[in-house]
Amino acid sequence: MIQEVAHQAEQAHGEAAEAFNAGKTIIEHVSNAKDHPLIHLPPLFGIDFSITKHVLMLWIVAVSLFVVVTWLVRRYLKQDRLVPSGMMNGLEFVVEFVRDSIVQPNVGKKWVTTWTPLILTFFLFILCANAIGLIPLFDVLGLFDHFVLHTGPDSFIKHLLHGGTTATANFNVTAALAVITFSAIIVAGSMAHGFVKHWMNLVPHGLAWPIYILLIPIEVLGMFVRPFALTMRLAANMTGGHIAILTLLSLVFIFTEMTGKAIAGVGVGAVVSVPLAVAISGLDIIVVMVQAYVFTLLSAVFIGMAIHAHH
Amino acid sequence: MQVLHFFGAALGLGMIVIGAALGIGKFAAAAAESIARQPNAADKITAAVNLPLFLLEGVAIIAEVGVLLIVLLK
Repeated sequence: MIQEVAHQAEQAHGEAAEAFNAGKTIIEHVSNAKDHPLIHLPPLFGIDFSITKHVLMLWIVAVSLFVVVTWLVRRYLKQDRLVPSGMMNGLEFVVEFVRDSIVQPNVGKKWVTTWTPLILTFFLFILCANAIGLIPLFDVLGLFDHFVLHTGPDSFIKHLLHGGTTATANFNVTAALAVITFSAIIVAGSMAHGFVKHWMNLVPHGLAWPIYILLIPIEVLGMFVRPFALTMRLAANMTGGHIAILTLLSLVFIFTEMTGKAIAGVGVGAVVSVPLAVAISGLDIIVVMVQAYVFTLLSAVFIGMAIHAHH
Repeated sequence: MQVLHFFGAALGLGMIVIGAALGIGKFAAAAAESIARQPNAADKITAAVNLPLFLLEGVAIIAEVGVLLIVLLK
């Protein structure tokens, strides 16, 4: 938190001439920073393929997860005894938790080995992406750059300072994850009942025909609302936590500007902003884990609903 | 008119919070009560409460995104 305050102070210092705009600063800290891509690539088919901060975060999360999990599992497979050691214990706990308390109760014993890998990947990826977003990694790097390295205004490190670090706070990322869930629901239904039967299962059969006029649109709408809700829930929760922290921290600058004295801002910061921001960060740690759990649980529930169509 | 615009968004946000808080409060009260009656079934009760709780949260979040859009896309 201190680093974030300092980082904001540094930014406010740079724009000393113009008034402090809390909204603009906050949005710049959580957005994808499309105007400041890390590596500029030409657009392909009208789509901008430039490497932005969130793309970099996605890659960092994916690579670190892949390396850590592969390394742990390979090390475990090489050892002679069956009892896991060190971090493998933690990984085994996560795998068992996801399989036994998320997938199995919803999907059922028959399909648990089919769907655990997908749900487990979701869980680890979302948890890791959310958790990395809480660490002010690049803000510390910015401070280091400001006081020690002194790189130019167009350097790679300066570009890294734009935009947020939580890849899952980007609606595009969560929408992609939800699209995977959406297809998984259809695949699960098709695998369990056959492709045509899966679509028949959407509505209960054996009702009077006027009800279907009402029911079919509702069920089709529900099919699209589920992944939409997944998208919004994850992204909005991740963005919301950061916005709350940044709002509290910008009180320092708002009060400084209002009274014209730096001591007022520092006082508000020490008494109100920083303690509350620390408390919200603590809350965010819980939210990070709960949201990873919720996304995977709901995916498992929807897949299970497609498999166990009770109509 | 500018002020009225933000007023509507703020009012909406407050009402979302009231609704979500009422809903979550009811869930928590019912869950605590039933766990007090049957401590053995705590796991099952928590599992049964979890899912609608998250769905409720999702509705509230979507409404808040709507409020945010009202402010941003004015």
